[in-house]
This record gives sequence, C-alpha cells and structure tokens, in this order.
Amino acid sequence: MTRVLEARGICKTFRNGDELTEVLKYVDVSLDQGELAALLGVSGSGKSTLLSIIGLLLQPTSGTITIGGERVEGLSEVERTHFRNQRLGFIFQFHHLLPDFSATENVAFPAAAPAGGITAPMRRRARELLDRVGLSDRMDFPATRLSGGQKQRVAIARALMNRPALVLADEPTGSLDRVAAEQVLDLMREVNREDKATFLICTHDEKVAARCSRRITLIDGRVEGSPQAAA
Amino acid sequence: MFAFTVARRYLFSNPSQTALLIFGVALGVTAFVFITALIQGLAIRLTDDVTASSAHVSLEPVTRVARVLESPDADTEAVALVSTFQRRQIRTWSSTVALLRNQASVSAISPQITGSAFLVKGEAVAPVSVTAVAPDGLDAISPVSTQIIDGDASLGADGILLGARLAQDLGLSAGQPVLFRTDRGVDRLLTVRGVFRSGVQSVDERVAYLSLQTARPLFLLPEGVTNIEIKLVNPAGARDVAAFVRDATGLRATPWQERNANLSGALAAQAQSGTLIQVFSLVSVLIGIASALSLSANRRSGEIGIMRAFGTSRRFIATVFILQGLIIGLAGATVGCLTGYGLCSWLATLTKPDGTMALPIAPGQGGYLTVLVLTTLGAVAASVIPARSAARLDPLEAIQQ
Repeated sequence: MTRVLEARGICKTFRNGDELTEVLKYVDVSLDQGELAALLGVSGSGKSTLLSIIGLLLQPTSGTITIGGERVEGLSEVERTHFRNQRLGFIFQFHHLLPDFSATENVAFPAAAPAGGITAPMRRRARELLDRVGLSDRMDFPATRLSGGQKQRVAIARALMNRPALVLADEPTGSLDRVAAEQVLDLMREVNREDKATFLICTHDEKVAARCSRRITLIDGRVEGSPQAAA
Repeated sequence: MFAFTVARRYLFSNPSQTALLIFGVALGVTAFVFITALIQGLAIRLTDDVTASSAHVSLEPVTRVARVLESPDADTEAVALVSTFQRRQIRTWSSTVALLRNQASVSAISPQITGSAFLVKGEAVAPVSVTAVAPDGLDAISPVSTQIIDGDASLGADGILLGARLAQDLGLSAGQPVLFRTDRGVDRLLTVRGVFRSGVQSVDERVAYLSLQTARPLFLLPEGVTNIEIKLVNPAGARDVAAFVRDATGLRATPWQERNANLSGALAAQAQSGTLIQVFSLVSVLIGIASALSLSANRRSGEIGIMRAFGTSRRFIATVFILQGLIIGLAGATVGCLTGYGLCSWLATLTKPDGTMALPIAPGQGGYLTVLVLTTLGAVAASVIPARSAARLDPLEAIQQ
C-alpha cells in the first residue's frame, strides 16, 4: 500500500492574550491510498484543527506532515497554496459553490484558476466528474438552481477535479437532510472504492463513521489508543 | 483571462447594484467634465474679450539706460547718456515684419507709430492717444472699420478717425477739420474721416487713428516705427512667440498675458478652484468604488475562502477585484464623458435675449481624456484596498463564517 499521509507529533497551541490553549497534543495519523477514514471526536476535541493542519490551511506548532511523499509543514504560503491546488481536495459542510457559475464551471474552477481559463480537456473532465456524481442532467445549471444535495455532489466533483492524493471532508453531510446525506455518503464510498481515492472525513456523527473503513478518534487533543493518549 | 471572467460574472450577478455604481461614477465624471468645460469656456471668453481689440504680442525698442563706460585712465569717467530728445523707435521694422510674415502662428502684423497729442477745436482742447497704422492694416489688431458710426474708414493723407466720445466732446463729425498738435510741438490741420464706437469707454474717449504717412512728420519719425503689434492664431501661445521674437530681433516683446497680469492671475485662481472641485468629485467617486468593492469582498468571503482553500492564489483573488474596479471605472468614465459632452453641448446652445451664450461653456474642452484616464487609474487604485483584504482573507476563517 502506498502511504498517502504521514503526520507525526502534531501539536497545536492557540494563544489568547496570556492564555495558551493546547488543542492538539502529539497527534500521529497515517493513511494509505484508498482508505476511507473517519476522524471522530466531540466538539472541541481538535478534529477540525487537525483536518485544517493536514489540509495546509493552518500551521502546526510542531510536528511533521508528509503527503504523497512530500514534507509540507515548512512550505511557504505560495507553495502551500499550490500544493493544496494540486494534491488536496476539500469538501466542506457548506458547499460554497460560486453562485455565478454553472455546475461544470464550478467543478473545473480549481484547474481553471491557475491555468487562466477553462480549456476543453478541463471541461471534459468536469463533465465526466459530474456524470460520475449523477448530475449529468445538471451540468449547465447555475449553482443557485441546484438542491442542497446536488450542490454537495458538485462540491465532491470539484474536490476530485485535480486528481488529489487526499480528499479532506469536514462534516460533509452536516447541512443535508437524511436522504441527501445518505446519497452523498454512498457517493464518497463509491468514489473511494472505484477510484481508490483516499478520504479523511471529519465528523461527529457515528452513522457517518460506521460507513467508513477506519475510525480515528480524537479525545482532548490526542488520538484514542495512542501511547500519548494512554499517558 | 479567467480572472476577467470571474470579475465580469461578479459584476453581472447583481446588475442593478453594478448599474448604480457605474451611474455614481458617471455622475462624478459628468461633474468633472462640466466644471472643466465651464472654466475653460470662461477663460476663452475672458481671453477673447481682452485680446479681441488688442495685440497678442507687442514689440518695442529696448529701454535705453545711461551707463558708465570703460575709461582710458583713472582720472576720466565716461558715461553714455540717453537722449531725451531722440524718440525711441524701431528702425529695422521692415526686416522684423518680413520675419514675422514667415511664422505660421502669426495671423496679423501692424507696424505702428503711437504717441500723445492734443486736438484743438475752437476753445476746446482734448488729449488723445494716437495710433498710426498702414491704411490697409487698420483692422489688423482691432476691427475699427466695422465700428464706424459716422463717415468711413479711409484715412488718406490728412485724415483722422476719432472715438465717438472724443468726437462728441469736441463737437466733431465726419468731414470737419480739426487742429492736431503733437507732443513734439508740431501742428497740422486734419480732416475727420470717420467716427468709430468700440464699446470700450477708454478707447472711445481718447483714441484717434492716423495713417503712418500722416504721422511720420508729426512725430518726427521719417523712417522708423515706435512699435509693432502682432495678432496670433492661438493667443495662448503669446509667451512662446514673444520669446522667439525677442531672441531673433533683440526687441522688447511683451505677450498680452504680461500686459494683463491681473487677468492671468484671476484665470489661474479660477483654474485652481476648478482643480479643487475636480479632485473632490474624483475622490468621492473613488471612495464609492472602494466602499462597494469592500462590501462585495465581505459578502463573498465564503466563496473567496473556498477558492483559497482549493488553491486559488492570492494574486488571482486580488486581480478579480482590481478588474472589477477597472471595469466600473472605465464604464463609468465613458458614460460620464458622453453624458458630460451631451450636457455641455446642450448648455452651449442656450442663449440670453441679446443672443449671447447663457453659459460661457466650451463642450470641446471638457478634459475628456484626462478624466477618462484619471478615473480608470483611480478606480484601479481604489480597488487595491478591497482586493488586498480579499486576497488576505484567511480561508479557514472565511469558510467558518
């Protein structure tokens, strides 16, 4: 198995005036290609912070992160932006689609922005992805005319546009009704199974975690079952 | 350019707000154009009024001053005195006139003899300011022949033209004789050929015209002239022409602006006031653009955050907002220029009951290119602050909002 993510000794401390809050305490996480892992924890356990650090949206206080064989914790802002674009995919609780663009344009956006425009191959790939997520009849719809579940499926397609090494999902079903949430979860499982895409899904929902192949639980800033947690 | 596509979509996503923004810019630009055209029009009218009946450049001999000469020995002091008897004159006026005729910027040349004299009619004596011109050059500087109200404009050998008020004070009319006495003590009986009314009181009560031929023996100037008056195609270029003639001939050349320093000062002050108004109207436009784009950046922070999260560069985000500023500025300035030109053109057609323009406005002088460039560049500059704040949004914070 190819190791996609290797995070070692991740610590994160926030400063609020003179007060220091340790959110993550020597967290180790690793994922192999094709894993569908749930990152569980109660509110305040540090799971969103860990996801943001792995997603290069937040710098760790200490620790090392290797994604797709590349050490990333010391990258500059520009390098992290480029890395996110090329190697990571994001799915958030709120899809944040660009309302002034069609479903196809939204999916193609991560590839189009650095390239300076949507090329024919990009459009083709975006349409393939939309077809993959079951939206072949909504390709040219403006984002504003899609339902909540459809928007989240577009967000999944967008996350896959640049063939990322790792897809990070933060409460991807949190804003959806039960039926739509089931469909989105099924879709992620299908993409994981068929495309061997690696997913790390941050959730507090046991039902979501039950559909994943692996569980990583954070308790008070430590990974459950780790030596640090036992200490 | 994909950033341009995004900027365009952002602007078209709320057409009424964008239209309002462009309308605001256009309004400011229209105000700029109106003020500029009005100030320029006023300056043109005042300049025309002042220069219509006078020369744009006056050439005179240089003022001679007494000076100490180099002495052959220490006991002797040599001084060059200036004769007060000898009249200052331009002896080489023919060559100067020939030089001026070759200048495209010169529209008319009038070599003149000017001086002071008295007109005596019976017991009445009146001081006059005499201008002697070539008979065919009577209208070169001032359109005297069109102002004749009695007699005609033919000067002839012994003819004189008098201002209306002067003729009235002396009880003279066309065809009557009058005794002319110069400041050189020479008397001659002249015939009033015509009476003119310029509308300028100081001219109508003091000025008289003679021919050069008549004036030469009267002012003891058999060859030279006292001054050469020049009209230009473009009065604004008088300083340059004066400098050229001064260098070429050594004569004292005075542009009309120097002779009317008060007017020049007033025009400069007016231009400064106008500039202040123009700056304020542009600044208010730019503040409007900056505010609108800041609101837009704030409203779209979620989208910007997600774009940043999936690896869109800060430069791309900033470019989107700067392009929005550019589009708004260019569109607003274009609409404002067209509206301003239309408004000024309409105002220029309005007349008073006497047929003159109601507003001295010059629609062609609205500073269109200036305001177009300034507004567009200013709009780009105004969009830099919202662009920077949008580009610097922390994606995590923006998404969580």
